[in-house]
Amino acid sequence: MTGAIDTAGPAPATHKRPGRSRAAASDLAKRERRAAYLFLSPNLIGLTVFVAVPMLLSIVLAFFSVDGFGGYTFVGTANFERMVGDPQFIDSLGRTMIYLFVLVPGLFLSGLGLALLVRSQFPLVGLFRTALFAPNVVSLVVVALIWNFLLTDDVGFVAKLLGRLGITAPSWLGDPSYALGTVMVITIWFSMGYYMLIFLAGLQDIPREFYEVASIDGAGPWQTFRNVTWPMLKPTSFFILLTSTIAVMTGGLEMLVILTSGGPANSTTLIVYYVYQQAFVYGEFGYASAIGSIMVLILLAWSALLFALTRGGRFTHAD
Amino acid sequence: MPPHGPRPPGAISRRRFLGGSMALAGAAAAASLSGCGSSSAAAEGPLQFWNFYAPPPSDDPATVARAQWMQATVDQWNAENSEQIELVFAPVLGSEKLSTAFAAGTGPDIFLISPGDIIRYINGDVLVDLEPYLSQEAIDDFFPDNMATRVVGDQVFALPMEIEPLALYYSRPAFEQAGLSEGDIPATWDELLDIADKLVSAGQGGWVVPTTQGYYQNFVWYPWMWQGGGRVMSDDGMSAAFDSQATIDALTLWKSGVELGLTPRVEPAGDDIVSSFVEGYASMWQSGIWSISDFQRKAPDFDLGVFPLPVPPGGEPATSLGGWAFAANAMGRNPDAAARFCAWALGSTDDAGITRVAEWCVQTKTDIPPRQSALDRANEMGGFDTELMRTFRDDIFPSGRGEPRFPPVIYKAVSDAIQSCQLAGGDAADQAATGAQAIDAYLQTYEGAQL
Repeated sequence: MTGAIDTAGPAPATHKRPGRSRAAASDLAKRERRAAYLFLSPNLIGLTVFVAVPMLLSIVLAFFSVDGFGGYTFVGTANFERMVGDPQFIDSLGRTMIYLFVLVPGLFLSGLGLALLVRSQFPLVGLFRTALFAPNVVSLVVVALIWNFLLTDDVGFVAKLLGRLGITAPSWLGDPSYALGTVMVITIWFSMGYYMLIFLAGLQDIPREFYEVASIDGAGPWQTFRNVTWPMLKPTSFFILLTSTIAVMTGGLEMLVILTSGGPANSTTLIVYYVYQQAFVYGEFGYASAIGSIMVLILLAWSALLFALTRGGRFTHAD
Repeated sequence: MPPHGPRPPGAISRRRFLGGSMALAGAAAAASLSGCGSSSAAAEGPLQFWNFYAPPPSDDPATVARAQWMQATVDQWNAENSEQIELVFAPVLGSEKLSTAFAAGTGPDIFLISPGDIIRYINGDVLVDLEPYLSQEAIDDFFPDNMATRVVGDQVFALPMEIEPLALYYSRPAFEQAGLSEGDIPATWDELLDIADKLVSAGQGGWVVPTTQGYYQNFVWYPWMWQGGGRVMSDDGMSAAFDSQATIDALTLWKSGVELGLTPRVEPAGDDIVSSFVEGYASMWQSGIWSISDFQRKAPDFDLGVFPLPVPPGGEPATSLGGWAFAANAMGRNPDAAARFCAWALGSTDDAGITRVAEWCVQTKTDIPPRQSALDRANEMGGFDTELMRTFRDDIFPSGRGEPRFPPVIYKAVSDAIQSCQLAGGDAADQAATGAQAIDAYLQTYEGAQL
């Protein structure tokens, strides 16, 4: 019968000699490798030129005094020693640690909470997801400007709203007691949609059968979360802990510049702002590079610790 | 510090530094990054003049008028000289863009510079001394107190294009609403706090001074310290003079404004004086002469008044003189032509040169001309016919001092003292002493032009 599958005879390829077959496989592997490198090359070139090389240059620069006009003087470890005696660096590092310890859990919990809320199908769920993610697609500069107006003392929207409730609003951005907290809240509001999206992807990857089995076993919502959702989200959690730490430590400069300029009274001068200030306001490129190098080391140490503790995000040998 | 001298022992050039680093960073990127070694913004073509006026970034009439003055000046130069110049719009020229360009060896041939920034460039030996390009008549024509910021010994490192003194603007409608009149305009610090209190108690806006930390806040604060005889540095520039009663009083005044609820902790309406006055968010605001043109443009019918900064008991009137200047890059492609352009544009003593400066200050802007001859010409042109401009010329400008040219460490010591007292409840005496210690520590290793 024409068109019937001939299962009787072997396929022509099986008649090839073993040597030729290996050569063909080798050719194919080479072609695949070439294709892989070709696809990787735009990113590799970009990362090399715009990330790896500047990072190395920055580390080298940390050992120089730079006058900002083309003169470089080798100063050994002087820039690193200067950090130890620089109270403003130490203050900004301490402030950054507080920022980090509040913001990373804050982003983690808000992202996870929102993802759990919007993972089920209910009317207008798409709209909710979009609305929660929306701040993330707006420029951070625009976000900062909008919040600046919303939080203006006495006449801003927030002050007026609280005033109607009989509450006198503090100076959110002008009082050192509130400024850093205000920046944290805005950052969480801005970023939580992104982490929600990542968690949502992780949640949707969990096979439904696991939940069905849990249900049959009589597990309640908390037990289901604890024994099914949480363990299955561990790789996602690892990714979020790692990336949010890096983002919190190195990002948000635009917002700090526009919202507070590091003030009032240095209360929002985080390490990323301090580096910017040293380099671009004071022209201390060598010192700024040294601080930047320390930031890289801290982040590398944190990443290594996280990898070690979670076995590269797998958490257990069995996984 | 001699300009363009040899590098100190142990120093290497940017090119050598990059070259060595490239060996570490890998040959792949060397070619692209070694391009940073070129010595000016463009390798060939006309000399570049970085400024924030032209080509105009918007069709706002005031912006267009300023751009037209810049363009006409450059066009006239280009018609009369073989070395051509082109205008390059560069926003926020005072800080990141300019410093980054110079660090990368791509600084512009000619650029605008503020007093707050100039000391780094003088000490970096990248500014051409303009004195040889100016006649003695021209040098003598510039107001010396204002010029002092740009001068080291006999050398002139930039030529001011304008003078912008600071004063207190007030809203006449707000005063009227609070039952106050012209006779209540404060002349002393106590009166200032009293009037601000009356305005706020009557539901009007308060007394606004900058609260955002930065060079501008320092610039606005200095006159309050000067009025009581205070200074940041000793006369010879060798030690700090910051720890003084005048400093403590000035820090305490700004602290009191916030603590008494008379000064907002954040500048209202996004730091826009016009909107703040029109909407009633502020009644008095310390700002420069430039605000007159802002009101002319955005709220020409607003009933605006201005008065000199009130003084402390036994104090003398004082104000800061701001304003931008033309400077020529000594590391540029043609420093000689760049310097000749600066001297010609702002320092020509012929009739056209004087008129050019006067037109910039009173026709395209509302400023005080930096030269006596241009001020006289501006008077003839009717530039000071309004009450506000007359007040600035007659009552405010004579008590002015050029904005100090402090290196970043000294600026920061002063800024920290202001911020701590104004917004964080810091003790003024402690902050003045802490600031003075930081300045003295820095001066032990400072090498450069006298501060």
